[in-house]
Amino acid sequence: MTRSLKDYEPVVGSSVIRQLEQLAERVSGSRVVHVNSTAKGGGVAEILSWMVPLMKDLNIDASWEVLEGDDAFFKTTKTMHNGLQGDSVELSEEACEAYVRSNEENRDRLADRLENADFVFVHDPQPAPLLGMCPKRKGRWVWRCHIDLSRPHRSVWKFLVPFIDSYDASIFSMTEFSQLLPHPQFIIRPSIDPLNDTNRELDEQEIQETLSAFGIDPDRPLLVQVSRFDRFKDPLGVINVFHIVSKVCPIQLVLAGGGAVDDPEGDAVYAEVRRAAKDHPDIHVLNLPTDAHSTVNALQRAADIILQKSTREGFGLTVTEGLWKGKPVIGGDTGGIRMQVINYHTGFLVNTVEGAAHRIRYLLRNAELRGQMGAKGREFVRENYLLTRHLREYLTLMNGLQRGLDRELLL
Amino acid sequence: MAKPFDVKDCALITMVVNIPPVFDLRDLRERLRICPEESLYHHFCQTLLRPTFDDPEVHNDLAFWARHNLHDKTLAERLAILNPYDLGTLEELRFAVLDIVEDRISELPHISNVATGDEFRFLRAMTVIFEAGLSLKSPGDLFDAFDRMTRSSIWYHFIEARRRNPDHLDDFTCWLGQHRKQDPALIRALAGIDFYFLSLREIQEELVSVGKNRAGWRGGS
Repeated sequence: MTRSLKDYEPVVGSSVIRQLEQLAERVSGSRVVHVNSTAKGGGVAEILSWMVPLMKDLNIDASWEVLEGDDAFFKTTKTMHNGLQGDSVELSEEACEAYVRSNEENRDRLADRLENADFVFVHDPQPAPLLGMCPKRKGRWVWRCHIDLSRPHRSVWKFLVPFIDSYDASIFSMTEFSQLLPHPQFIIRPSIDPLNDTNRELDEQEIQETLSAFGIDPDRPLLVQVSRFDRFKDPLGVINVFHIVSKVCPIQLVLAGGGAVDDPEGDAVYAEVRRAAKDHPDIHVLNLPTDAHSTVNALQRAADIILQKSTREGFGLTVTEGLWKGKPVIGGDTGGIRMQVINYHTGFLVNTVEGAAHRIRYLLRNAELRGQMGAKGREFVRENYLLTRHLREYLTLMNGLQRGLDRELLL
Repeated sequence: MAKPFDVKDCALITMVVNIPPVFDLRDLRERLRICPEESLYHHFCQTLLRPTFDDPEVHNDLAFWARHNLHDKTLAERLAILNPYDLGTLEELRFAVLDIVEDRISELPHISNVATGDEFRFLRAMTVIFEAGLSLKSPGDLFDAFDRMTRSSIWYHFIEARRRNPDHLDDFTCWLGQHRKQDPALIRALAGIDFYFLSLREIQEELVSVGKNRAGWRGGS
């Protein structure tokens, strides 16, 4: 469902909408192309599914192109993704060739649109080589990195840098993820869409039906972690947390995730998690289809506490989603979770299984505190992490790239 | 008759500054000497415009880092009270911060450092300033418009203006002063808002409150 900017007015206020319209005036009519590697599943696809229509709503000629690739390409980019997040991996010569070859094939398909665009936003490493393959490009090209680049495996980073350093600018989600690059680097934190199926308001009946469908008892405490089946999300650690807390409290755990097209490891991790859960009746491991947004929404709203016990995290949009639903979040002390989970205000940051178990027990005994944290978290997201702020920063950047990146730019 | 008050708005985007991160107070002293003025400006003046959690205790990034990452409460308190709008230039601010850091280094028996992930990174921002589409003709229009302005408009006219205007005055006060029927009590009420220690939401609420109560002030508007 395509929404217009006006649909967001009741959530963010009319002044915020007016501000976006004013800011977009000077880049009105610009041709903007976003390129990424998957149309469904994962945070980037979710962001683009609202950003492109809203840019169009502001009279910007925005479009979204998705890379096509074979298994060898996606296996390579997954290895690359893991390496950039710090895993000790090596890219074979064949893997590097598959990466470049797939990009060349996509270049043949996309060159005309990319070279004629005023702004091209290339998301993550998968399409990064396209810039070097479009010599007739006219516009400004920006590499938008959504992943945790704070400690990349050096050989993978060194392989990637030559594809990136000619971009006009880069965008990172966190300051810590920035790298030494020969162009300006911007920080734009991600955001959520408060009106999409993942975040829209739900009536109680819809929530109860979802619980019933999965055999979840609405009268017992529920912990929910929503994320891809990915080792960096530490799903096995979450199961260990469950076993510690369930000794003293009749909790239920939902680990809900699904694979994305560009994540070939998802099935293997899902199988590991199923084995670790051992068919425990209170551990619900749900491998959901990529479009199960309303189910995710209902599960998050039914939760007493949202977990995101990641050991590495780009930003952690599922944390944002949990806060928006008025839930306290217990999250790993890493990446973007640190920007959102503020100890004693919106939740707790933890470093260990034991730490997570301790905080869960503390919060389950303090319903009033959970309510206060939830209310604070929702307002925190309204001010800082809704898509209107995100869109504003893209418009600001486009104005800056068009007119010069001075400290102050008077339009 | 005064010209209409054309409300402006602004939006910023944060940029990375290519100087090494800070792990201890000696690093901080060195980086403070070389960081661009824009960076000081960002960390002391633009924090309210960025996605951030409203921390009632500290309103500049260095004080926040000293408190939450370095765990040096003494340093945090001294940095937190620094009001950049009381100082004439950003170079004066640089010297004031350096002075505090030098003092703290001389007091400490040993200099502790922070773990990776807790380091301070200098940033700057690019700000775009544009017309908000609101043109106000009378003081009454202005007071009625406070709750329709974006928080960034409030920042631009009520906070940032103090660096642009003579006598560190905000734009609202300057404009009200141009009206023949200016009301000193109203102007004093605006001046009484302790802007540097409030969030933008709180400042906007106070401005709206002054507007709503103006009939109660001597003379009204």
